[in-house]
Amino acid sequence: MTLYFLKGANIKRITWLLLITATASADSYQPWHDRTLAEPTDASLFSGELTKEQLDNLISKGEQLFNAVFTTDDGVGRPMATQAIIPTKRKRAPKNTFSRTAGLDANACASCHNLPTIGGAGDFVANVFVSEGFQLADFDSTDPQFSNERNTNHLFGAGLVELLAREMSADLARQREQALAQARSTKEPVNIKLNSKGVNFGQLTISADGVVDTRKLDGIDTDLIVRPFSQKGVITSLRQFTINALNHHHGIQATERFGERWTGSNDFDEDSVVDEIQTGDVSALVLWQASLAPPTVKSDLPENWIAAAERGSKQFDDLNCNSCHKRSLPLDSLVFHDPGPLDAAGTLRTNELGENGNTAYNLALMQWADTLEKDEQGRWLVPLFGDLKRHVIADTQVDTLGNELLSQRFVERNVFMTSELWGIGSTAPYGHRGNLTTLNEVIEAHGGSARASRDKWLKLNDETKSDINAFLKTLVIEQ
Amino acid sequence: MTFTVRGLLTGLTIVCCLSPITASAETNGDHAAFLGDVPKYQEEALQAGINHAYAGPWEYFVGGGLATFDCNADRLPDVFIAGGVNESALYVNQSSTGGALKFERQNSPVTNITRVTGAYPINLDNDQWTDLVVLRVGENRLLRGGPDCRFSNANVSFGFDGGGAWTTAFSANFNENDSHPTLAFGNYVDRTAPGSPWGTCDDNILLRPQVDESASHGVRYHDPITLSPGHCALSMLFTDWNKSGRDALRITNDRHYHRGGEEQLWDLYSGRYPRLYTRADGWQSLVIWGMGIAEGDLNADGFPEYVLTSMGDTKIQTVDVVQASEEQRPVYEDIAYQLGATAHRPYSGDDLKPSTGWHAELADVNNDGLLDLFIAKGNVEQMSDFARYDPDNLLLGNHDGRFVEHGETAGIALNRRGRGASISDFNADGLLDLIVVNREEPVSLFRHTGFYSEHGTRLGGNWLAIELNQPKTNRHALGARLAIKTGNKTQVREVQLGGGHASGQLGFIHVGLGVAERATVRIQWPDGEWSAAYRLFANHFAVISRGDEHVSYWYPEKPQEN
Repeated sequence: MTLYFLKGANIKRITWLLLITATASADSYQPWHDRTLAEPTDASLFSGELTKEQLDNLISKGEQLFNAVFTTDDGVGRPMATQAIIPTKRKRAPKNTFSRTAGLDANACASCHNLPTIGGAGDFVANVFVSEGFQLADFDSTDPQFSNERNTNHLFGAGLVELLAREMSADLARQREQALAQARSTKEPVNIKLNSKGVNFGQLTISADGVVDTRKLDGIDTDLIVRPFSQKGVITSLRQFTINALNHHHGIQATERFGERWTGSNDFDEDSVVDEIQTGDVSALVLWQASLAPPTVKSDLPENWIAAAERGSKQFDDLNCNSCHKRSLPLDSLVFHDPGPLDAAGTLRTNELGENGNTAYNLALMQWADTLEKDEQGRWLVPLFGDLKRHVIADTQVDTLGNELLSQRFVERNVFMTSELWGIGSTAPYGHRGNLTTLNEVIEAHGGSARASRDKWLKLNDETKSDINAFLKTLVIEQ
Repeated sequence: MTFTVRGLLTGLTIVCCLSPITASAETNGDHAAFLGDVPKYQEEALQAGINHAYAGPWEYFVGGGLATFDCNADRLPDVFIAGGVNESALYVNQSSTGGALKFERQNSPVTNITRVTGAYPINLDNDQWTDLVVLRVGENRLLRGGPDCRFSNANVSFGFDGGGAWTTAFSANFNENDSHPTLAFGNYVDRTAPGSPWGTCDDNILLRPQVDESASHGVRYHDPITLSPGHCALSMLFTDWNKSGRDALRITNDRHYHRGGEEQLWDLYSGRYPRLYTRADGWQSLVIWGMGIAEGDLNADGFPEYVLTSMGDTKIQTVDVVQASEEQRPVYEDIAYQLGATAHRPYSGDDLKPSTGWHAELADVNNDGLLDLFIAKGNVEQMSDFARYDPDNLLLGNHDGRFVEHGETAGIALNRRGRGASISDFNADGLLDLIVVNREEPVSLFRHTGFYSEHGTRLGGNWLAIELNQPKTNRHALGARLAIKTGNKTQVREVQLGGGHASGQLGFIHVGLGVAERATVRIQWPDGEWSAAYRLFANHFAVISRGDEHVSYWYPEKPQEN
């Protein structure tokens, strides 16, 4: 925050600055004010591995923020910035601040993430229209040539998902490093098959001079980072997702990406609110999401449902659905470091605020952690029914899920990350557009690399299909 | 900032003053505050094993360059440094990734030679090893590269007459479909001419390749074309100034010795005898103490801007796009003042006398996606009308399009007389290091250790380093143009050899990406053919080979863990 800015500040700006900087004053914020971000979270109070009390405090702050119905005083609005993840200026302000298509499209995080409860998925009415926000940032049509229409994912178990992705990314990087060392020492090319936690990611060919050929990779970016979030699997971390979403949906711009360090301005979107959300509040939102309990398997069921679900569970494996929808992936550690190890500039990185700016959230302190099973090696088994890998999901005959026209961040239009099925019993509708109302419909829509399983499923009788349905509907988000 | 506002915002003021970056910017009233990352450089030449000085009498008041290139195929930049009356020196890079810099001098009678003023790396014979063009007071040398940084004298085998001039500038390009480069040598004062040194500038020469399969290396350079008049060239650069796909030769000249001279632009269209652009073509007379040239496309319009160093104010020239593209008229405007980059006197100390600028180079040293400008500075020798303490400049590109000086904050403001230089990533960590050759004083080697913050050194913006390969000829793709797209922004880089002050480099092309974590890159290869779009993830060394639609990544060797 600079005095250079203040030279040209209007009264409103100065007033806001005074309010923000007066956070030590307990009476500066009153409940009737039109701000929901009452006091910025003081990041310096949360350092190192947090105690349970600190965790609870920060989670509570995160929950407030996730539910907050943001206002213009909070920074809602981005009249001169687009929804792009890279700070991008508009040429002119849009006519309407809110728009169901190009955004702003929500008042609160919870406006969309609310089924069956806060942090959950969204109804078709809460679909988001994903545009990169560079060209044609403003569009007033749902025509798929302008954006990809996506249903809202739930966030339950998101902390575990990110931890899995971090460990897998580290695994793959280690394998690459070992192969590089081997190629250099033997002066011979090395081919390696990449595998982490039982998931294959194709091959690398490594030359003796350290050059890595990635053309045979499968389902992962060429930098070998498992990006576990979004339907497409293109977002690295909850922190990156949070910053993207705050800007896209609310026009609230995080200082760690849109602030003066990277843009030269503390009001990049020119809505007269400076430094709209700072690292402490982003951290609170990250922790709240990371701490959400993973979905569970419903057990309080009538006997006939239990029996059907057991049969359906076996069928699920027999159809080879579990080749992608893996029942669980093993996790070595429940310690969630924030900032995380894989983010790039524009999302807070380890040590960026000094060592005291690094925090560790031990998710083992969460009550739900005791419900996780462990394998014989003592690793937690995360029952996500997914593989955190991308697959082709449509083909020329079965193209229902190939309905997007725009690739996203280098990922082709008919390629999506395996949907994690945990919680699927609580998160209808289905498909990345949320336009499939039943599980039968979404199973039938599987093409591409899932085509063989889907074709086998089609040949099942109605009773067996019903059993699979019964099984999948035991995978729920507890309320 | 007014006193009133400061008084009202005590808390804010404290925050601001905690940051050396903000405070430093605000105390300089010449320009807007710079709020981005300031690199933290650490001088460690001696610790790294480089102990070398450029020295000598009058002939060595100018020159003092170096070549930065990879001579042993490990993809780390090695350096060959001019010594003047001292022997030149080849230092092989042994730095560990991200660690302290380390070089080992490789001695050889071929590379340990005196009377060297500068050097440029180049591949003359299209083999896998980079060669060297060595500029000298006396016979210039072509050194043919071999394995493990071994070189051999190759003047004879290339049919090259090194002459006896005082050579201070060089540039090379691949003309149209030539299989070998065209070479241009810039000469300074003709010391043998009557009345020397004043008004006796030597001519420059151009050597087109003569392909000859019976020659040792398939090419001879035995038929020089004189570029006359010469006006005491101190830097030259082949450049596609008007996006025509055809290079001209830009020369900056030292007014101290020429009489009636000026800056020059040669039209070298193949098949015609070279001719100078004149007033009739729109070329306007500019008379400066021209010392160095840096080219960069500051506004990404495809038309390059030129930084010209001088005694006094630095020039930044931008072309009149309409006249350039529609009428091929080279009409330039100086925008250095508007950009805050005149750098006309020392930014620290109390000496109000003008600066003396030498090597200039545009590069993104803070990876914010904006080009920064380095200028080596230093008094010629004992010129009392010019500043004695004249630290090198590091002008950081700001979001308002201007530059802001941060040489002192960055730690490069030494009391040495800079000459040639190179900005290169010596330890393969994505941060651009800096080496400066100083007159009569040790070479400065600045390791980029990260960025200042109130919490200590921190990481900076995202980056890419891109290596281009062509399979048979012009292996380094001289003349290729890279368009690096992140969001709506496109940055342009061009692979060139020449300019600076007696210093040139080949190797990875570095691009800062700011907060973009990926980029789409297209290459316009030297013959004008565009590549398909390559999709690259940030913070990687990418290797792009012509004809291969797939990009590969190079990973530097990981340092041994203790």
